[in-house]
Amino acid sequence: MTSENAGLSRSSTGFAIAAAITILFSTVLACVKDAYHPLNSFMNSVAWHNWITHGLVDVILFFVLGIIFSKNAWAGRIASSRLISFLVGAVIVAGVGLFVWYAAF
Amino acid sequence: MNITSSDVILLAHSTFGVLGTLAAIWVFVEALNASEANAERIRRAAWMAALCMIATWILGGHWYVHFYPADRAMILKGPWPFAHTLFMETKEHLFFIPLILSFYLVIAARGKLFANAAARKMVLCVAMLIALSGLAIEGAGAVINHGAKVALLRGIAGSGR
Repeated sequence: MTSENAGLSRSSTGFAIAAAITILFSTVLACVKDAYHPLNSFMNSVAWHNWITHGLVDVILFFVLGIIFSKNAWAGRIASSRLISFLVGAVIVAGVGLFVWYAAF
Repeated sequence: MNITSSDVILLAHSTFGVLGTLAAIWVFVEALNASEANAERIRRAAWMAALCMIATWILGGHWYVHFYPADRAMILKGPWPFAHTLFMETKEHLFFIPLILSFYLVIAARGKLFANAAARKMVLCVAMLIALSGLAIEGAGAVINHGAKVALLRGIAGSGR
């Protein structure tokens, strides 16, 4: 395999999956805390404001998942085109999902 | 002239947001022409995008927690309450997308983009996603700003009657 045809590195693959999952998780968390106020109150109590807690959870999740996925052998076997599709799809679903959620509720 | 810390923080947060978006576009353009000569420049631009997004997060978060509640109350009483209920609510959560992607951009840009088509394609996609989501967030910011403006104008017009 030449370098021009080489796939993504294991860390690049692992953190791409972590980014897509974190983005989807963040959207779900935004909807759940909006609908379930005890969770919102709990997140307010953790780090000054639910939005700050939300951001910290996202960042921690991204790095923890990224490190875990990067250490797995299967990370290097995923086709880069599928990974890019997954990441782009996650961003579109999350972005449109947030807008629709706040428009509807 | 009366410039408050709220004004400075508000404008600084949107400025860093624009700079982060521009840095992502810079990465995109450099990656289109990836070569051994610009590899280090791509990595630096990716770092710049991430650092600008972190600055936006801290400044925006500080302003949102300490100064926005007064604006929110005013917007909700004005003619454009959706500037908060739809656009601010969406914007504040949408922001986490370019934030996370900018962190990932630093990792993805570590590869030899000039020699690896898959890595180059990934960097191009991530940089474009940051730029597009950044522009959407800036647009939402403009709607929120206008929501506050029309609420103030209505208040002034109402008090003048």
